[in-house]
Amino acid sequence: MPVPTLTLSRRTFLASLAAAVPLTLIVRRAHAAARAHLESDPATFDALADVVLPSALGKAGIRRAAAAFREWGAGYRASAELNHGYGTSRLRSSGPTPLTRWTQQLDALDAAARAAHRKPFRELSPADRVALVREALAGQRLDRMPAVGDATHVALALLSHFYDSSAATDLCYQAQIGRSTCRRLADSSRKPLPSLKLSER
Amino acid sequence: MTRAVIESDVCIVGSGISAAMVADRIARTTSAKILVVEAGDDTVPLPRRAASRERFLRYGENPWGRDHLDGYEIEGPLQSRSMQVGGLAMHWGGVTPRFSPEDFKQRTLFGVGTDWPISYDDLDPFYQEAEVVLGVAGEQGPSAMDPRSKRFPMPPLPLTYNLELLKVWAAKAGITMWSQPSSKNSVAYGGRPPCCRNDTCSPICPIGAKYSPDFTWNALRSANRIRLVPRTLVRKLVLESGRKNISHAVAVNRDRPNEPVELHAKLFVVAAGYTWSSHLLLLSAQNGAPNGVANSSGLVGKYLAGHRNVQGYVDLPIRLYPGINEQHSLLTKQFMRRPKGSQYIRHDLRVWESSVNKTPRLTDDSGSLMLGDAILNDWRARTQTGTARVRAYYDVIPDRASELTLDPTRKNEWGDPLPKLSFRDAPESAALRGPTEEAIKTLFADMAKAGDGKLLRTSVDNFQDHPSGGCRMGNDPETSVVDSWGRAHDHENLFIVGAPTCVSGSCANATLTFCALSLRSANEIGRTVKKSS
Repeated sequence: MPVPTLTLSRRTFLASLAAAVPLTLIVRRAHAAARAHLESDPATFDALADVVLPSALGKAGIRRAAAAFREWGAGYRASAELNHGYGTSRLRSSGPTPLTRWTQQLDALDAAARAAHRKPFRELSPADRVALVREALAGQRLDRMPAVGDATHVALALLSHFYDSSAATDLCYQAQIGRSTCRRLADSSRKPLPSLKLSER
Repeated sequence: MTRAVIESDVCIVGSGISAAMVADRIARTTSAKILVVEAGDDTVPLPRRAASRERFLRYGENPWGRDHLDGYEIEGPLQSRSMQVGGLAMHWGGVTPRFSPEDFKQRTLFGVGTDWPISYDDLDPFYQEAEVVLGVAGEQGPSAMDPRSKRFPMPPLPLTYNLELLKVWAAKAGITMWSQPSSKNSVAYGGRPPCCRNDTCSPICPIGAKYSPDFTWNALRSANRIRLVPRTLVRKLVLESGRKNISHAVAVNRDRPNEPVELHAKLFVVAAGYTWSSHLLLLSAQNGAPNGVANSSGLVGKYLAGHRNVQGYVDLPIRLYPGINEQHSLLTKQFMRRPKGSQYIRHDLRVWESSVNKTPRLTDDSGSLMLGDAILNDWRARTQTGTARVRAYYDVIPDRASELTLDPTRKNEWGDPLPKLSFRDAPESAALRGPTEEAIKTLFADMAKAGDGKLLRTSVDNFQDHPSGGCRMGNDPETSVVDSWGRAHDHENLFIVGAPTCVSGSCANATLTFCALSLRSANEIGRTVKKSS
């Protein structure tokens, strides 16, 4: 008896494949792929960090801030239960990984650089990089620093992540405040000491 | 069907801070066999809290794992969804002021609300005991404002650099302020280390410097003085046939829902907070108690209490360094103590360091995007002055219609109706609301002026904080659910303790008062246990 042939369209095949693979697995794999992308090609991201973060951090400080952001992204968990609010019985959970959109935005910055200047983003002058970042952020809501995970663009996410840090507060106040860190009770009664100079850190 | 039966002398429903106070005192003063039943899971152990806090700080994740029961989305302003061993006091702020003497005599002194059946002096020794059990670090305020018979068990948390400056500012406005008493160690105490200003007291202290009930449970468990059964939801209190006593409680073990659990005890203590205590009593309607257990007055779930707040931010020409300790504050009771016969407008007042209006921003005043050095330069320019956060809680006199009822439209997975909450001001309180809020806003403006500052904005929180009530205490069984000891008027062997028994919510954080009331109840429970044995 002849074996019947089964013909599947590409769309049907993909749909059936998607149905067979749990959604959480797809999400996890997308997160891992985006994370790998960010880690394997940090140059575009570092070139972005150089122009959006303050120069007072120094080159090494900017690298540290960029690395801390990548670490944040790597540790992100989708659908995690968020801290309960008071006065409500509603629960909230974290959204899908933002890394996928952020890596796409980095690719888009690079593509825009190549289209406008025939060079990768990382090889552009700071002024040209800033111009492309401004172009990418045109039309974005900028009335407040967003929460990192909610940032609609990778540049905003990086800014938000850095400026939310204890190091950023210390840099602003040029003092060793040490927000959210452990210190001796008695030490909290005196004026915070001045910041260490870059060479002393 | 298999049926599990657990026997004890005292069965405590709930494992929050009031339950911990009761269990601890009974364990210390009697040899009673104590069972504690908790619907939620065991809590995150102390060694895991630093990592848990880190996830909270980085990602906003709930640091307490799965501390809730699924399907408990209810109508109305539930204080917190959290349900776990230790209850809401696992993530409380550890703020422990006392109520003031006039709280207990509102009707007599001011002609509003209802007098409590006890006075401040009756509660003072139990306040003291609660402060010792919790470990309260406190500064004695002026005795006219802050009466107490004994010293705090620990020296106060020192004021931070910022609070020292803000205290001077408050003094310029004629306000005497001092360090907020807190259940956080200023020195090593109770086997726990001193606070090191991690500044995440709420929702999580990573080192155990803040008291939380799990410390009491751990001690009682390791001394083999209690049996604590988590993941077991008490669904009903059952009366002895033809009698007024509670015979047993029916519960469901969430891991084996098909095996009913019966909890038999000589005494039952409902210590499940302002929501779940009234909820359980109402769910327990049966022959002999058609409207629910302890509810012959019809007042179970009624007269929910709390307080509202007015908050403001003041820009001051002082260089502050926000981030040293945003959760610790200054306190005064200057506006809380009112002379007899005066209009009942009163409130507490607290002052914190704040970063409001001093956080980095993306656009400048003209709305242009800033990048690179521009953001930092702008931030530095705006932080040459400081912001103070000022907040006043004021009384809301509870109305009978401020209530918890059973919601026929929402049920949990075992088929029990969920509670529905609604809060309402008593008419006399509603009439005072406008003048009270106006007085507070005027005070904030005066404070700003005294410091050559500017009041940036004010807001009124509609949510009634530190909710309580629902099983109010009183001497008359017609107008109250329990007596002053928390014993149900209707049932000799049933106590309801802590928050639900409050007659009113004062204008200060209420947890220490819940603890003091629970210890007072435990005193009577202990006497009853001894008598019966």
